[in-house]
Amino acid sequence: MMLIAGTVPIKNLLLTWGEARLEGDSLAVNDHSIPCTQGTGAMISAALAVTKYLKLDPPQVLLCGDIGDGKGSRSIYEYLIQNLPQLSPQVLVLHYWLPDMALMRGLCESIEKCPQKPIMIADAASMYAAKACGLASKFDIFTPDSCEMAFLADPEATHPAYINRHLFDTDITQTPKLVATAYQLKSAAKLLLVKGAIDYVVKDGEVVETITEPNMPELEAIGGTGDTITGLVSAFAYAELELHEAAIIAAKSNRMAGKFAHATPATKVWQIIEQFPAVFGEYLCEWSGVCFIKAGRES
Amino acid sequence: MVFGKRKKKPCFEGGGLVLFADVPDAMKAEKILKSAGYPVKLVAPPPHLRKGCDLALEINLVEQTGIERLLREGNAEYISVAPLRAGSSQLLEIVQVTDFGDWVMVKAGNMKLTFDKNSGVIINTSGGGCPDIPYLHIELIGKKLTEAPKPRDIGFTLCALMLDRAVEECLAIWEEKRG
Repeated sequence: MMLIAGTVPIKNLLLTWGEARLEGDSLAVNDHSIPCTQGTGAMISAALAVTKYLKLDPPQVLLCGDIGDGKGSRSIYEYLIQNLPQLSPQVLVLHYWLPDMALMRGLCESIEKCPQKPIMIADAASMYAAKACGLASKFDIFTPDSCEMAFLADPEATHPAYINRHLFDTDITQTPKLVATAYQLKSAAKLLLVKGAIDYVVKDGEVVETITEPNMPELEAIGGTGDTITGLVSAFAYAELELHEAAIIAAKSNRMAGKFAHATPATKVWQIIEQFPAVFGEYLCEWSGVCFIKAGRES
Repeated sequence: MVFGKRKKKPCFEGGGLVLFADVPDAMKAEKILKSAGYPVKLVAPPPHLRKGCDLALEINLVEQTGIERLLREGNAEYISVAPLRAGSSQLLEIVQVTDFGDWVMVKAGNMKLTFDKNSGVIINTSGGGCPDIPYLHIELIGKKLTEAPKPRDIGFTLCALMLDRAVEECLAIWEEKRG
């Protein structure tokens, strides 16, 4: 099972567990409609595009409404702390929620009790919490952008708003230096996919791939395009690709979907997501080196 | 008789302090924040942060925006909010601007906001990771910069504060353009 946990911007949505499905430009979970906009909604939608294409089980999702006061976030932490050992997912993806160091610590202790340790992926404030409480190296994948990379490289920061300005000013080509610092500080996951004008895939501190094409600077402005990368890499990891391969294909797919959508800064993230099936159809075989079996034949 | 092991409740780790001039201010702030459901703890400030009294309130630093708003609304006086760790940086003040032709993107810390140069309408927000960010995304998009709600007024977190900085810079660019 792939389990995705995070908050959604619906104030009164109680803790909800279920299977997500795409319905037009929204997501449906049980009887709830979740906007496919920036955040956990965009991330789940991208993961669903992969699982549907590869005919895998769709992700199970654990969601709660939270518009910032943290109550929904704490419900998710507490549910996971209580139930993760029984759920024991193969892939666990943590996303938007209020970073809480003590609860993140409790969550990581709970993960240790799983019969088999899941592949642990964190983005957004789940990544902030993991770094802030010194447990980043327990995670398998982080997907920071360049500012968040500077945050991981700042030994004292507990949130990107409080990073050293000299780290913030660093240009994207200096990312490998920030990466090296973050690994020295044990503030990085085993694999990093650093999102930016240049996407860096870093394995155990070593840059194993950079992705620059197609060049789509407009994607940075579009809310949710970082979330889609996390959804893609998570689903490809669930499909049992090597983690660095999953990251490389996720970065390429996101850029190519932007190109297919003729993205401008005004494009909405669901317009990018709806391009993924076409991108996979054209490129997944080439990029992965493994062809997907379609209708009983190798495509 | 066998006693079961008592479940350990996670200890609060906030990462931020509200600093006060005197003890009654600290007590008043604690009451306001606790009644609103914020996890807080009265502590002695470390020497490098000691400014007024010997009592400070530990908060989850990420919740700074919502907490400061609540203290203002409750007329609770405080000196400042600061990160607890020695050597932490100040709140990021710098912004970066990218011109996309018809659109301008302003980046403040981990947050980005993009508006249409001709209409002044916010067309996208991106970045961040706190739970108010997807909510603010929905609330801001499609509204004119001059009419959109302020992230610091309806958001709760440091991500919202960074988005507010981006809005302010976009407004300055928009107003300068209009002369």
